[in-house]
Parts: sequence; C-alpha cells; structure tokens
Amino acid sequence: MSERTGAVRTGLAARGVRSAWVLPASLALLAVLLVLPAVIPPFFTANILGRAIVFGIIAMSMTFLATYGGFVSLAQMMVAGIAGYTVAVLVPGAVPSIVGGVPYAVAIPLGLLAATAMGLLVGAIAVRTQGIYLLMITLALAVGVHLFIQTNIAWFNGYEGIRNVVGPEILGLPFRNTYVFYYTALVVAAVLYAMVLYVVRTPFGLALQGIRDNVRRVNALGYHAALHRIAAFGIAGFIAGWGGLLATFYNIGISPGTIGLGATVNILVMAVIGGLGHPIGAFIGALIFVVFDTFAADLYDRDRFNTLIGAIFLAIVLVSPDGVLGIARRLGRLLQRRPAAQPAEAPR
Amino acid sequence: MQAAPQVPALALHGVGRKFGALAAVGNVTLSVAAGERRAVLGPNGAGKTTLFNLICGDFPPTSGRVELFGQDITALPPHHRARSSVGRTYQTSLLFNGLSVMDNLVIAVRGAKPKRFSLALPSREDSAKAIALAERVRLDHLLETEVAQLSHGQRRQLEVGMALACDPRLLMLDEPAAGLSPVERPELLKLMRDLPRSITLIVIEHDMDIALPIADVVTVMKDGDVVVEGPPAMIETDPTVQAIYLGHGRAH
Repeated sequence: MSERTGAVRTGLAARGVRSAWVLPASLALLAVLLVLPAVIPPFFTANILGRAIVFGIIAMSMTFLATYGGFVSLAQMMVAGIAGYTVAVLVPGAVPSIVGGVPYAVAIPLGLLAATAMGLLVGAIAVRTQGIYLLMITLALAVGVHLFIQTNIAWFNGYEGIRNVVGPEILGLPFRNTYVFYYTALVVAAVLYAMVLYVVRTPFGLALQGIRDNVRRVNALGYHAALHRIAAFGIAGFIAGWGGLLATFYNIGISPGTIGLGATVNILVMAVIGGLGHPIGAFIGALIFVVFDTFAADLYDRDRFNTLIGAIFLAIVLVSPDGVLGIARRLGRLLQRRPAAQPAEAPR
Repeated sequence: MQAAPQVPALALHGVGRKFGALAAVGNVTLSVAAGERRAVLGPNGAGKTTLFNLICGDFPPTSGRVELFGQDITALPPHHRARSSVGRTYQTSLLFNGLSVMDNLVIAVRGAKPKRFSLALPSREDSAKAIALAERVRLDHLLETEVAQLSHGQRRQLEVGMALACDPRLLMLDEPAAGLSPVERPELLKLMRDLPRSITLIVIEHDMDIALPIADVVTVMKDGDVVVEGPPAMIETDPTVQAIYLGHGRAH
C-alpha cells in the first residue's frame, strides 16, 4: 500500500490543474508559440524553443505514465532512441548506409512502430513492478539497450553512431530550415499534448488513473489491469518515438551518447523540474533545462553545466516537490485566496 | 428452510486457504440460494474477509471449489469474475482518490462492459448510468467532487454504488456499516433493503443490528470455519454464538 501514496499525490496534483482554464491557456500558449519566431532571432527559435519542444515531447511521455498511471519509467529516452535509430538505419543518405534506400514516408511510420513496440516490451517486462523497482528495471533496460547499440557495429555503427540523417522534406523545404523544423516540432507536440489530454478522459485513460489510485479495485471491476498498464507504456512509447525522430533530425544523426545514462537522467530532470502533475510540465521543464544548457557557458562555465542544473534541480525540488507547476499552482491559490481548494493536502 | 430447486447463486465446496502454516479459511462448505440475503458474522480473524477474497478471486483457494450459479469459477482471474456479475465492496474503502465521484462510477460502469480499452469518450449511456448509480447511493449532488474530499460515510456509499455498476447477480458487502454514524446506519439499511431480489446479497457485518434485520440466513464463522448456520432468530439465541459474541458485539 505504501508505494501508492506518492502516486496518489501526483494524481491529486493532476486534478488540481485540470480545470476550466486548461484549454484556453493551452490555446493561448500555442498562439504565442506560433507567432514568437517572427520576433525572436532564428537561433532562439531552433536551439531554444525548438529543442525544448523536442525534449519536452520525450519528457511528456514520462510525465504521461507518471501522472496518470503512477509509473515512473526511466526507459523513455531509450525508447525515443529506438525510433531515431530505426529511421537512421533505413533512410537514404545516412552515413554509414546500413539498410538505406527506404524513403522517409515509410521509415518514419516504421520508426514510430518500433518505438511503440519497444514501449510495449518495456511495459510487459516491468509489469509486475512498482516504485523503486520499476525505476530500477526501466533504468536497467535503458542502459542495456544503450550498451548493446554502442557495441553493435553491424547494425548501429557502434560508438560512432549514424550521421547525416537530414530528415524529410516538408512542402518542398528541407527539414534543416529553422522554421520547417520549429513548426513541425510545434505541430507534433501540440497534437501529442492534445492526444494525452483526450486519452485521459476516455474509459481507457480513466481506468489508467484507476490503476494509479487502486489496482486491486480496477481488477475487481472487471479490468485486466496488467494489459492496461502495458498498453499505456505503448502509448508512451509512441509519444517518445516522435521525440526521438525529431531529435535525430535536429542533430542530423544519432549516436549512443544521445540515448545513454546522461540523456536518460536529463529527461528525468526536465520532467521533475516542470512537475509531474500535468503534461505541460514536461515542456516547462524542458525549456528551463535547455535555457540553462545553452547559456551555462556565458553565465558560468560550459563544463560546469551539470553543477548548475543540479543546483537548480535541488532548489526547485526543495522549494516545491511538484516542480514549477506546483509553484504556479500555489501562487495562483494565494492570489485567488480560495482556501477550499487544497488538493495536495488531502488525507492519505 | 425454503426449498430452492434452482442452482444456488454461490456454492463453496470445502474451500480453504492457507497462508504458510496458518489456515485463514479452514474448510468451508456453504450454499447461498439465488435472491437470498446472507449475513456472515464472526469475531475479528474468523476468516470472513479472506472468504470474500476467495470468492471474488483476489487469490485462489489452496483447496476446494467455488461455484457461481452452477459454474466452476475457482480458477477464474478476478477481472473475469467481475464480468460474470460479482460486485463487492471492501472493508477499507478502495476508491480512486484522485478522481471525481463521476469518474469513479464511469470506471465501474465501463469495467462491466466490453471495449474496456476504448479510446472513444464515455458514451451518453455510460454517463447516464453513472448518474443513476450516484442517485441510488445518494451522491448525485457530489458528482464532480474529488473522492479524496468525501466523508467516510460518503465513501462507503460510493463503494456500494461502484459494486452495483456491473449489475451484479451476486453482491458482497464487507462491513458496510463500519465507521458509519448513527444517522448513516439506517440509510445504509434502507439501501440494502431496497435492493431487488434479483441480486443475491452476502454481507459481512460485526453489527448484529444491521445484519440480523436483513438476513434470511446467518452464517457464523470462527477461526476459519463455519460454526453455526441458520435463520436470525435461531442465531440470536444460539449458545455458541453468544459465547463468541458476549463481550464483543451485543454487550457494549
């Protein structure tokens, strides 16, 4: 029973966020992000906003599982990498060419399929674990796949990885174009974000939240909770897959380093900084992370980025265990002075 | 007792469950007729809840056979049993604390139907049924309230509402009156009395004032076995039961 308390907490937090203004706020944010590139330099558009959106997608796949299922999976960066590697192995022009010759229109769906399948596999392997054990088993899977890819030359070109994966042309424009990349990432993120908000209102998503709060009761009501759980990991794999594809095109290639332990921890840091209470937290966390990642060199010292982000992580988690979202919520409550709404301090 | 030509709603044949060396349920054989109201009494540790768990499949019995309306369900996993119309509540409320009353009921309603993986929004029919259930357990004014905010009594009511969602033929209530206030008790009693006879009801209850008025037959358990079984009038005067309960139930 005790492992439930943490999950229930995030669940309550999720409930606190889900209110009438989520849809208007999301649409307003989308509108801002649509026009922002007109007023900021291209560097900011691609390297700050664009990159934050891509990482945000991968972090959101983790947030989705944690917020609505109560499962913290450390395998999401690896799952994203599966999509990236699948495409890199298949498409023409990649260096070295491993399979090659498969057009992007075919390779991209295959990459998403592979990530979904990997998500399902991770879910199936971890299906009986909760809490710290789930964390460990997903971490082990992430590290295992990373090491396998790093040492496999024939399929993944080992340590070097696969370069020159330039991405598809969209409306006749190369993916490398800052605005093509940015708006593609934005549309993908918006659709996936809307998908998550929709899914959690369906019977499938409600049952997933039921599993988070009380697995035994879900089973007693006629659900096969284990299958539900595995399916949720599949959905998270699909989301992470999109992030993996975009990251691969952004980096013009993929190497084992981008899906290793460091990258895995970065995703966790983003998700936690933003707050595991609502999917938007993943994007907020990713933006904060990317800003510091980019400007650490100017602010402090390039090589000390980890110290800096570690300190920020500590500061945020100490001040607000549910991340920036939690801070925002507390501020909002202070301003509104509505003592009735206190979701985080509910009994048990 | 009444002649019951039809198959019993529930039949246990020598059902037992051991946890290591401890026999939580020893060797229980009992039969509950369709439409019957059965109360299961017994001191703490008598194996009443374990018996419920065996019936609804939370874990399998180590010996014996469980039959539901003549069908052997001993090996069925719990979610299949729920689909074959067994509804139950729990001694300590097992609800979905992070969700609203409405969402809790919708989950319960959908659990009894096919397409549990559906990615379409809950249908109007599902919502209507959830609201009807809320009315039945008098929570319809709290549909959008988060379950974590409900009072203890309201949580018990929601428990019953969720157990009714699968249109159960067999409803099992585990100490429904536990912790209820003197005002809430008669309401619960009325709720149980109003259940149609198409529902077979088994109630675990410590409180004889709740159990005896509704029961057709009372089963008294102690140390994992059935000690006495009979109509309420007989149970009230039975010396064995008095020996078990004196100082516990009636005497306070």
